[in-house]
Amino acid sequence: MDSLTVPGNLDSLQAIRDFVLAAAAEAGIDERSAYKLSMAVDEIATNIITYGYGGSATPGDVVIQAGTENGRLQVVLEDTSPPFDPFSRDEPSGLDAPLEERAIGGLGVFLAKRSVDEFRYEYVDGRNRNIFVVNRTTT
Amino acid sequence: MAFDVSTEQAGDIAVITLSGELDANAAGSFRSAVEEAAAAGPKRVVLIMDKLQFMASAGLRVLVFAKQKMGTGVDLFVVGARDAVLETIEMTGFHHSVIMMDEFDASEIENY
Repeated sequence: MDSLTVPGNLDSLQAIRDFVLAAAAEAGIDERSAYKLSMAVDEIATNIITYGYGGSATPGDVVIQAGTENGRLQVVLEDTSPPFDPFSRDEPSGLDAPLEERAIGGLGVFLAKRSVDEFRYEYVDGRNRNIFVVNRTTT
Repeated sequence: MAFDVSTEQAGDIAVITLSGELDANAAGSFRSAVEEAAAAGPKRVVLIMDKLQFMASAGLRVLVFAKQKMGTGVDLFVVGARDAVLETIEMTGFHHSVIMMDEFDASEIENY
């Protein structure tokens, strides 16, 4: 299983996406699914960095791992910020509402959930674990 | 690829050209470009996205900001968004609030 450890700041997002895209290419994931996976991981990593580590001057790390099993690519994001379950938040409402009337927030988790085949969260040994799974498509 | 944004004013149309990857780290400079464009009081705002390779929800939030900053009377055009970016815009229902165009067409935008 490949892994990458980066400091929990927004400058790390590029490296996180590059890691995900490389893992997806290696796993034979199609371009569209790879993009969506990279977006899902980016959104959750953004939340970890922005809210979990809260812009601390000395944030903890974000660890990202990728591996394939039975034709599925699994990506795991781990961090040591306070427990945060992305499923504990309500889905954003009013996706049809004009932008002028929109509340800003919740879109990242919404996009993450819809951009992969499976999205799970667990808190284990003092670490948040966000798990993303994409099935390899045969085209 | 690094995010880049540039702004130009053509009459009462503000044209903002985006390229590279628009993530939460880059959203601040996009937001600044919107503020800069808003200062001139344009009637229409055009976002050129054909070179935009990635857009996270942080980019969508700047679109909300733009719409709110410019006011309801100012139309927002999104030009040339790639399929992946387009899909994000549609998934979140933003296509109901902005005008999507395949190519930049000054007269069509002018007369919209």
